[in-house]
Amino acid sequence: MMNKTTKWILWIVILATVVSFPKIFGIYYTNVCVLFAIFALYSVTLNLLLGFTGLLSFGHALFFGSGAYATAIALTRIDGLPLLPAVLIGGLTAAFFALITSPLLVRVSGTAFAMLTLAFGQLMYVFCLKFRDITGGEDGVGGFPIPPLNIPGVVSIDMTNCTNFYYFAMVVLGVSIWILWFFTKTPLGSVMVGIRDNAQRVDYLGFRVPHTKAIIFLISGGFAGIAGAIYALLQDIVSTDGVLTIFTSFMPIIMAFIGGIGSFFGPIYGSAILTIMDEIITTYTERVELVTGIVFILVVMYAPMGFAGLLGFIKQKWLSRPSAKTTVEGAS
Amino acid sequence: MNILQTKGIYHDFSGLEVLFDVNLEVKEGERHAIIGPNGAGKTTLFNIITGTYCPSKGEVFYKGEDVTTAKPHKLTRLGMGRSFQITSTFWRLTPFQNIRLGILSKRGVRFNMFRKVDNMKSITEETDEVLRRVNLDGERDIPASVLSYGKHRALEVSMALATDPDLVMLDEPTAGMSRDETHNAVELIRRLTEGKTMVIIEHDMDVVFSLADRITVLHHGEILASGPPLEIKENQEVKDAYLGEMEV
Repeated sequence: MMNKTTKWILWIVILATVVSFPKIFGIYYTNVCVLFAIFALYSVTLNLLLGFTGLLSFGHALFFGSGAYATAIALTRIDGLPLLPAVLIGGLTAAFFALITSPLLVRVSGTAFAMLTLAFGQLMYVFCLKFRDITGGEDGVGGFPIPPLNIPGVVSIDMTNCTNFYYFAMVVLGVSIWILWFFTKTPLGSVMVGIRDNAQRVDYLGFRVPHTKAIIFLISGGFAGIAGAIYALLQDIVSTDGVLTIFTSFMPIIMAFIGGIGSFFGPIYGSAILTIMDEIITTYTERVELVTGIVFILVVMYAPMGFAGLLGFIKQKWLSRPSAKTTVEGAS
Repeated sequence: MNILQTKGIYHDFSGLEVLFDVNLEVKEGERHAIIGPNGAGKTTLFNIITGTYCPSKGEVFYKGEDVTTAKPHKLTRLGMGRSFQITSTFWRLTPFQNIRLGILSKRGVRFNMFRKVDNMKSITEETDEVLRRVNLDGERDIPASVLSYGKHRALEVSMALATDPDLVMLDEPTAGMSRDETHNAVELIRRLTEGKTMVIIEHDMDVVFSLADRITVLHHGEILASGPPLEIKENQEVKDAYLGEMEV
């Protein structure tokens, strides 16, 4: 366990880096950082299902995409819609889709769950392509107004400014990730991990497994929708190819695996690693997916616990080194 | 008063009939053992009583309520607890976390999303108390998967008891244990189930005769005999069908 001082120092360093990031790295990398945070939240929501409940979803883009579309469509159609309600609409819409798919999804697990989520994800993709009047078909929804962040009577912050938007996005995504982290620490979070290990025993302990899973879907889907909403605001365009393709569903899986599905923070590491890799690889080749795919295969084969697992291993080695042992023995 | 009663239970698996007209009565406070050779239908009967399966025919009553179609979580909430023949714990969690889930359920803390479970002091204290009682306090924070076999079985049984049930159903709690481990397990079960009604499936006759005050013998899916241990010991039919082989 990290002691309290180290923890505080770590948090201060992280906060200082986040605050000073736009000044140090400029507009381009500031936007890249927002993208990283969006995918960090998105893959954390997926990992709630994968790492914490033991359910592999192949259709998580359903929630990310419906959140993005809902925010984009709401901003296009409702004049003067404020910023926070727009984001909230994204989250609630995704949660709504989680709610209506849950009666089927909570009753299956394993391969059936993966296939069913894949089907729902693809259904949404086709739905958005076909209902042109609402979703704009292949063109998607774009050029909608990005409202300022209004605190009535206090301040109005322009969100078309990249730096302002960066701070707004970081707060929304950071708070969302904190809420999800807190959720894993609650009694319901414990039940969730129980379902992953042994759903039958959870039932025999007196918990209703389907109801618990439904709540987890709602939370996971809703926050994936918030990630999608922020993505829509960042890009100012939402299209099926951008937010609802099968790759949008696979990306958080790859991130979660590379970062480590056994840890809450794993997907965040994964998102950071993939974002950095992406930036480096694009300077050499356009075939980013090829390299990402190879890294994914290597991680699954040789480091199944991902980056977080590797960190844990190094920490264990460090603590059990001879000099550390002597110090501990000396101290006792 | 009967706490548990089955009336004319029949069950078949895709045509293979495993239970025929099973009428079991368990009185409140009784320590009831179900014995019988392999394939007699003991675990199937257990699974029907505890809600894993619905019987093909017949009814199950618990505390006077018809629970034939009730799901396991409902039966647990009504005060029934069970352990499994094949250890069925949360293997990646620690014994503390395993037991804590039972305590959370017992206290009705199921969907709480607004408090950290680690900060719930009384839950932690009660869980630690259970761990002490079952001598697992030394293994509190290691994954259940690395526990020794005997300790893992003790965890299995204590999880059945963590929800503080009125009726405890134990499916071969000493399966696969050494003589010493079995002795310790019997003492543990005796201590933990004091004042509770217990139904136990067991192969080890020493365990059965030291724990039970009533025995039901299942043979080929039918009840062969039911009565106090001495009566069962002397029953010729039982001797022929089962006990004779066991050299009691």
